[in-house]
Amino acid sequence: MIFKEISKTYPKDDNRLVVLKDFTLSINPGSITALLGPSGCGKTTLLRLAGGLELPDGGSIEHDSSESGPTSYLFQEPRLLPWHSVLANVELVMRPLIGDKSERLKRAVDFLEIVGLADFLRFKPDELSGGMRQRVAIARAFAFPGKVMLLDEPFQGLDHSLRLSLLKAFTELWKKDRRTVLFVTHDVPEALLIADEVVCLSHRPARIIENFSIKIPQEERFLGDETLIQLQSRVYRAMPAYT
Amino acid sequence: MHRSTWRNKLAIGGSVLLLLLFWELGAQALDAQVILPTPGATAVSFWSIVNSKLFAVNIRATVSRALQSFLIITASGMALGMLAGYSPIIHSILKPLLVVFKATPVMSVILLAFIWFSSGTVPLFSAFLMGFPVMFIQVERGVRQISPRLSEMTRMYGFTRWMRLTHLVVPSLMPSIITGAKSSLSMVWKVVIAAEVLTVPRYGIGSRMQLSQVNLETASVLAWTLIAVLLTACGDGLFEIVLRFPSWFIKRRHARLYGLHIRSES
Repeated sequence: MIFKEISKTYPKDDNRLVVLKDFTLSINPGSITALLGPSGCGKTTLLRLAGGLELPDGGSIEHDSSESGPTSYLFQEPRLLPWHSVLANVELVMRPLIGDKSERLKRAVDFLEIVGLADFLRFKPDELSGGMRQRVAIARAFAFPGKVMLLDEPFQGLDHSLRLSLLKAFTELWKKDRRTVLFVTHDVPEALLIADEVVCLSHRPARIIENFSIKIPQEERFLGDETLIQLQSRVYRAMPAYT
Repeated sequence: MHRSTWRNKLAIGGSVLLLLLFWELGAQALDAQVILPTPGATAVSFWSIVNSKLFAVNIRATVSRALQSFLIITASGMALGMLAGYSPIIHSILKPLLVVFKATPVMSVILLAFIWFSSGTVPLFSAFLMGFPVMFIQVERGVRQISPRLSEMTRMYGFTRWMRLTHLVVPSLMPSIITGAKSSLSMVWKVVIAAEVLTVPRYGIGSRMQLSQVNLETASVLAWTLIAVLLTACGDGLFEIVLRFPSWFIKRRHARLYGLHIRSES
């Protein structure tokens, strides 16, 4: 996916807020890219543009042939339909794309098993804990047969251990089904644990301060690792908002 | 808990007895059956009405009018409420109409309707005009309260219009629809009977009340009132039972869609 000289201004008439100006970024297909930046720098706007929810005022977004098709999302909140069961929530999003009901159900059960919710298929979202609900959302995002996945700070506001277990669930699913992932966060350790590429963004209008590539496979990473500690301090130094 | 429920029941029973006692004492003090008949005379009248040949016909006429207008109110209130909730233009078009509907006294509506329609149609029309705004406003407000986050989720995951309606809009609106339906139902009974009193169609509780009043049969007026109260209570109770049906239906459907599959998987 390539963002080519993207410009975006809110709102169009008076009180203009320039969020993006000639922003260019290239994302490798089938990789996880973390967009790291201070609040309000335009990260979420980039995500919405990538998902086609908004159109850029200038520039274009090009998709690789392997990224064609629908996009799946993981939001800050689980956004599950409260009147449906866990299984129905996951199965439902596949309906427009997969005609065969038994295939949809099998896929939903498979993904829910991977995130450790096999025993909760018939539960309603209200009967689950916050972490479990977000697991359902992760399973839903992966069960949806999109080639691009957009993550908008999905682990924010959760406690540390829960966050780590969700990141683990996420990387496990991603290893089985490698999609292009664009991951918006302002949490450095989170980005370092799952991203192949960490893009540090400046204050509004967002521009790229620095790009960090991480070659260590996701399953071998842990925050006490020497390389990650060094990388973390480099990221903190690069980011004006964190110093 | 048990003790307090028992006490509450005792208090309710005591209150009813006290009311009957005051009624009896008042009736005896006035000593005029035309002004205030005794509870006993009312009970006798009640019994003779219930046993009369045309009792069922009168009840059926009122119930059918109330039910018809309730169904029209529910269907139109839901459809137009949803449209107005989503479209500011439709909201603006309907707003003045609704303000007029809400502010018009029931009696004016009935009197005007009587000029325009036959006596059998007046209760239907008047009940619709009174009950529709209640349902409409509830549904319209419900549409505005649909979670924008869930809406965005359904858009992002490419839900079709039909899927959005059945899996997001209608389930979100259920509480509003139920509240609207309950309020409009209790209003419909009262308006239908009031319209029957004024227009005196051939059959109907209101017509019987009016005829009894003209003949100075106060005990009969009171007995018919009691019948109307009991009918409203029965209607509310029946509605509560009907309300259980959707969740029962959804559970069954859910079991059919997902239950069997899970069992065969494991």
